[in-house]
Amino acid sequence: MAAVAEIDSLVLEFRSRSGRVRALDGAALSVGDGQRVGLVGESGSGKSTLALALGRLLPPNAEHLEGALRVNGKSVFELDHAALRGLRRHELGYVFQDPIGTLDPTMRIGRQIEAVLAGTGKTASIASLLASVGLNDVRRIVRSFPHEMSGGMAQRVSIAIAIAPKPKLLIADEPTASLDASIRSQILDLLVSLCAAHGMALLLLSHDLRAISRYCERVAVMYGGRVIESGLTADVFGRPLHPYTEALLRAAPGQERIGGRIEPIPGLPPVLAGRIEGCSFAPRCTFAVDECRTRRPERTDHGDRSVVCLRATERADAMAGVPPA
Amino acid sequence: MARARFIRLPFRGDVLSRAAVVAVIALLLAGLLAPVLPIGDPEAIGAGPRLNGPDGAFPLGTDNLGRPVLARIFEGILLTFILSTVAVLIASVVGAIVGMVAAYLHRTADEVISRFADVLFSFPPVLLGLLVTAILDPGIHSTIAAIVLITLPSMIRVVRAATLDVVGRDFVIIAEIAGASFGRRLFLHLLPNVAGVIAVQTAYSISLGMLIESALSFLGLGVQPPSASLGSLLREGAIYLDIAPWLVFGPGAFLAIAILSVNLLGDGLRSVVDPLEARPLH
Amino acid sequence: MSILVRYALARFASACLTLFCVALLVFAAIHAMPGSFEDVMVPQGTQAMRDVLAERLGLNKPILEQLGRWLSQVIQGNLGDSLVTQESVAAEYLRRLPATAEIAGLATVFALVVGVPFGIFSGLAGSRRLVSQFSRLGGGLAMSVPDFVVGAVLLYLFTRYSLWFTVGNWVPITENLIGNLRSALLPAFTLSLLGIGLIMATARHATIGVLGQDFITAALARGKSPAVIVRHHVLRNAGIPIITILAIYSGYLLGGTIIVENLFSVPGVGRYLITGVLNRDYPVVQAGVLLAAFFFIVLNMLADILYALLDPRIGRRRG
Repeated sequence: MAAVAEIDSLVLEFRSRSGRVRALDGAALSVGDGQRVGLVGESGSGKSTLALALGRLLPPNAEHLEGALRVNGKSVFELDHAALRGLRRHELGYVFQDPIGTLDPTMRIGRQIEAVLAGTGKTASIASLLASVGLNDVRRIVRSFPHEMSGGMAQRVSIAIAIAPKPKLLIADEPTASLDASIRSQILDLLVSLCAAHGMALLLLSHDLRAISRYCERVAVMYGGRVIESGLTADVFGRPLHPYTEALLRAAPGQERIGGRIEPIPGLPPVLAGRIEGCSFAPRCTFAVDECRTRRPERTDHGDRSVVCLRATERADAMAGVPPA
Repeated sequence: MARARFIRLPFRGDVLSRAAVVAVIALLLAGLLAPVLPIGDPEAIGAGPRLNGPDGAFPLGTDNLGRPVLARIFEGILLTFILSTVAVLIASVVGAIVGMVAAYLHRTADEVISRFADVLFSFPPVLLGLLVTAILDPGIHSTIAAIVLITLPSMIRVVRAATLDVVGRDFVIIAEIAGASFGRRLFLHLLPNVAGVIAVQTAYSISLGMLIESALSFLGLGVQPPSASLGSLLREGAIYLDIAPWLVFGPGAFLAIAILSVNLLGDGLRSVVDPLEARPLH
Repeated sequence: MSILVRYALARFASACLTLFCVALLVFAAIHAMPGSFEDVMVPQGTQAMRDVLAERLGLNKPILEQLGRWLSQVIQGNLGDSLVTQESVAAEYLRRLPATAEIAGLATVFALVVGVPFGIFSGLAGSRRLVSQFSRLGGGLAMSVPDFVVGAVLLYLFTRYSLWFTVGNWVPITENLIGNLRSALLPAFTLSLLGIGLIMATARHATIGVLGQDFITAALARGKSPAVIVRHHVLRNAGIPIITILAIYSGYLLGGTIIVENLFSVPGVGRYLITGVLNRDYPVVQAGVLLAAFFFIVLNMLADILYALLDPRIGRRRG
């Protein structure tokens, strides 16, 4: 299967006055054509950095140290500015967390959409575009300023703007985090149905594991700047091989069985200053052995699944006989 | 090497602000040490030939009474600095308290204080100074009063805005619930959070105060002879502009450097208190 | 639109209230002065002379009555007569207004034409150290070097080496356009320096602030080119604080004209005002301060309304 996005051993650091922070420490991820992939992990795990890296939208203090990142076969870090703009314009679509903030506060919605349509070279009317994201009161919406809309409406407008050029990959970074709980599933339903209708792949970043398992066929779990487990959502969430995935599932509200309890993961996620030897999760891991602290785990494949854990094989074997949770 | 660097300058990585710190210290030292420096006595009439251009004996020339210009400049710097600093410190203390109280009490007190600041703010700066000197007799006290009145409204506004940002935060509300006294809440909980903003505004105000002091003195409404500030030196010198331009250029250059340095210091403080990270557009 | 109109009306009412407070303050300030009018006008006068004068100026009436009388005169445009020339102060200010308005207007134009592009450029180049340090130094210099220092240097240079410009010989615009420009450009340039510094710093700060906003990241993510982003988003959003600083700058202009007109012998209102202060000609001072505050308040009100027009978030949040 052709991949729209392929990331391999990506290492990325941020320079700051107080030193360097390693945001990505050899991250690897692949998004197939038309696939819906969920990306989960705690804040600071590198999710957003990875998402922004796909369009090279990183802040100026970010430094790409090693590893490859390809979108539609193009090496993103090697493109010149014009080619990069072309890539962003035609092949990537972004939906961000704060829908009102991503729209220019001084411009009416109609003008902002017009500006986007003019840039794509594809003809679509504003009305049909808005209708496709479930906004029917076109006359009122095009005359509105961003702050006059609800978060849900603004997010629909942002989605309309993102899908207007029919990109190959839609990247949604916590698109519902700032919205009311009641409309979150509507927005996610919309995203997924639009991706299906236009054959777009979707990379969905979220804290909401339930939403990920409902909407994404594949999932990648990030920790300490690496994707520590990825595979089919049913497999990964059903039988987590990485201890962190397991801990994350147990810590997630809404997943507990009756009488069970939410178990927060003890400790804090790491802030890396550079490449670490050993596993970054080892200090918080209940399965860790001495070797975990000294030897850097490499990726191993278990069927359709990749895991970054020294004890993955051991755990896979032990789990082989156990029915999925 | 570590031992050699016994002086630690603030503003790491900010060349301009560091240069400004050095310049301010140098100017202050020059003013303070002027009496013992070998530059002549600023009051010695006839110390040299009258209106003599810069030469070896008098590096910046002499004025119409034969006094050494450099010595008079150093004397003037000190007065300019002291006047505006004293005035701005008064404005800062008053403005900080009033601004915090306004933001904290809301309603009537805020309305009255803000209106008062608005009214003061509606006088163009130099005009307010003119009005003050028209009422009081021109001199050092009227100059200080003018600077206080001109810098006060911005200080009130800035502190009020910064306090409003803090008032709603948890720790202030907790202090309130815990029954901390009004003064305690103001000084222990609010002040540390707006101190940075006050420091930045104070630095900017001092540079504005120096500008106002010298403008008023230049117009003859500020410092009166025999006292000398940089502005009054410029006033005296302007009369002889055609024949002795050094009387204007010397004090003018020092005044510009002094104001610029304090201004850059304010910039440096601001980028520490409120860092702005620029991003490129690609 | 009606919300905007309501905002403008509220802003107008507030401006009127401020103006009234300013008038009160000016009246109180003049009356709080040490020494009475009589002392100033007829220092060696007899008691009879003083009484006549007090009767004529209404100085023997209760203070509130004097205030009421003065306010109603001010509203009718009567700002009193000069103690020195006995002529109408209002008429004299009006006669001198064009010269001041011209150099102030030219200065504003200079400040905008130089300050806005340089400020935005240096904000866009923000992360490059050299550009940002250079623009800080340039802007800082423009703001810090007092206008009378710059003016004096220019005065010296141009009286010495005439170089097309004329110094100290004002030609009204109605007489000869070229001659007028020859005499107006130097004072206007001197006045504009502070504005250049203020506008540059504001534009730079605003540009950097706008560039950090999410909608810029979103525009970049859509593949917009820097030129398009600057045209569509940066100029509009950074323009808003520039309007505010322009209103504040106008206040400095009103003070700056006093100094510059004095230096370059421009027969404008600033020169009249400073002469009034030096002569203790109180009606002139009182009227001058009041007029300046009036202009300043009106300009700030207009800036706020313009601000609300450009930034839809202001003033439209429920009135």
